[in-house]
Amino acid sequence: MTQFAQNVVLGLLLGGVYALVASGLTLIFGVMKVINIAHGAFLVLASFIGYTLWSALGIDPLLGILVTSPIIFAAGWLTYKVAVEPIRTAPMTSTVLLTFGLALVLEGAMGAIWGNNSTSITPSYAEESFSVAGLFLPKVDVYGLLVAIVVLGALALILTKTWLGRAIRAAAVNSTGAELVGIKVSSVAALVFALGIGAAGAGGAIIGVLYPFVPGSHYLWIARLLAIVVLGGMGSLNGAVLGAVLFGLAETLTAAYISPSWATAVPYLVVFAVLLIRPQGLLGSHLRQDSVTA
Amino acid sequence: MNTFGRSRLRALAAASVLALGLAGCGTDSAGPDPIKIGASLPLTGQFSQPGQAALRGYQTWEAMTNERGGLLGRPVKLIYKDDASQQNIIVADYNALISRDKVDLLIGSYSSLLNLPASAIAERNRMLFVEPAGGSPKMFKRGFRYLFYSQQATADKTGLAYANWVAGLPANIRPKTAAYPTIDDPFAAPSVEAIREVLEKAGVTTVYSETYAPDTRNFDTITNAMKAANPDLVVHGASFEDGVGMIRSMLRAGFRPHWLYQTTAPSLGQQYADAIGPANTEGVAFAISHTPEANTPGNAEFVAKYQEMFGEPPPEDAADGFAAGQMIAAAVKGVGRIDQTALADWLRNHTVSTVLGDLSWDDDGRPEGEFLIGQWINGEARIILPKQYATAEQPVLGWQPMGAKS
Repeated sequence: MTQFAQNVVLGLLLGGVYALVASGLTLIFGVMKVINIAHGAFLVLASFIGYTLWSALGIDPLLGILVTSPIIFAAGWLTYKVAVEPIRTAPMTSTVLLTFGLALVLEGAMGAIWGNNSTSITPSYAEESFSVAGLFLPKVDVYGLLVAIVVLGALALILTKTWLGRAIRAAAVNSTGAELVGIKVSSVAALVFALGIGAAGAGGAIIGVLYPFVPGSHYLWIARLLAIVVLGGMGSLNGAVLGAVLFGLAETLTAAYISPSWATAVPYLVVFAVLLIRPQGLLGSHLRQDSVTA
Repeated sequence: MNTFGRSRLRALAAASVLALGLAGCGTDSAGPDPIKIGASLPLTGQFSQPGQAALRGYQTWEAMTNERGGLLGRPVKLIYKDDASQQNIIVADYNALISRDKVDLLIGSYSSLLNLPASAIAERNRMLFVEPAGGSPKMFKRGFRYLFYSQQATADKTGLAYANWVAGLPANIRPKTAAYPTIDDPFAAPSVEAIREVLEKAGVTTVYSETYAPDTRNFDTITNAMKAANPDLVVHGASFEDGVGMIRSMLRAGFRPHWLYQTTAPSLGQQYADAIGPANTEGVAFAISHTPEANTPGNAEFVAKYQEMFGEPPPEDAADGFAAGQMIAAAVKGVGRIDQTALADWLRNHTVSTVLGDLSWDDDGRPEGEFLIGQWINGEARIILPKQYATAEQPVLGWQPMGAKS
């Protein structure tokens, strides 16, 4: 029973970290209908920036989030203005190709700056755990969960309690209607893209402490993140959290009770199964598709 | 663009054309055409760590060979591509090296995973394929005639010296139970399986044995299961990132088996120590093909040149790459011309002195030597087995991580 409880706790903690890094991806899709394939690359970029802050300046990687996130936020805003905005209204395949290209450019740039050797951020607490009722809770996972709660809480507050949030939701539901009532959708989209990437910035710092990374690590992350947001329902923040927790639990329990060799495959099978029953994902909804053609 | 901008662009284009032309003239007047040697390596992606090292080994060999007059009176020129650690890309790369770049010779990639398809391309084109990594026994069960491996032994034999040593320890300190977590990799799996076979025969009970997918990043569940099984010894079939990830997870879980052996990761020197923390390396054992201190033919010159070119001592994978170059050079000199079939026959029938020691091969290109066993002692990777090559006076009896607190 203790073993089962331990595995569930590990799965929930892993899910918390996944939720943190997936939230930005689903936010961007929800408002802009852009599947940002470069999201994993921004995540790894944040890990590298966190590494530099830690190794060169001695800044704790978790405190470094206060520096990393604004940098990544700015990079996201700039990326949107330079690369994404010109084709925002193009078919989704164009933005998928564009953001995939962006991911490759970022990978190359990271390789040129930091090299392609495996990098690890190892502050003193990276190998420490809390002990609660005979269970071990890795400190970094717990901190990751706390950061996830803060970031997701902030995003939820912004979306539900501010005029900006109302504008974002209006743009997400009906961008033409939002324009008609005076919302500048392009500005909202730039801000949402930057917010989404900024959330990845916070996640990247945690991921960098948890696992070694190379510039090419983004391929592994984008596959997981897409599966999580599809499972939860594309564009749904609550769905991303639910999807992330289920994904983390599925990985952990599969490794523990089926085989570690199936741990990365079974969660995707769960995604397939859910989509067969609910094609819109667990908390996704069918939106009316306004067809305005010239 | 304004007129000034256009003028500058035209001037730049003209200068570029002139420079290219001069460069072309320079090549013609420099002497004989180089012998082109083609490689595709994982310079990015999962295997980028050893892939970069192997490339540096090739580049060191290229530089030293050219300083000594080249091969057959011609300079050697390395042409390499990045396969991004992807099997589909490496197939395209080697096809392009043969058909488009028209290389004279091929040299291998890193890992069994990548060399499996790459060596098949070479075999189909009847071209010699010397690989610096790729010791899976499966590689040499395909009846290939042009494939040769530039390390001392295939994967299933890399850890045998360690297994036999553990099996021969006095009963009061010999581990009684063992766990075998292994990455799903054609090199790591047979290496661990062979160690397990020896230890089980010696009475070491297996309490955990699982294979995990290569893209696994979270090891907490595996660690939790091993901790519950409480083995005395963990034999971990690992590449680099998972090797580091597993140890960090073990430390987080407060799981410290008395003995720890990993197949590959610890041989990557300082990068490994930095990744898990130098204080946590003490006593980790591993298989290794080369050390900078080794008293093998030409090793001192290789280490000095590598240090000069890259500012650090060569890691194992760089030495393996250098040895692959030495094998090609020995065969070309022995045959006296570039005849792929004759080169393969020559290697099959001769012993080659390399920085890894003397290497020889059976009919299938399988090396017939003995691997070294290393151990991290006082912050340095030292050789403990076989005794005649040992650079440490005594092995450390067990894993003694000092940096972890729980």
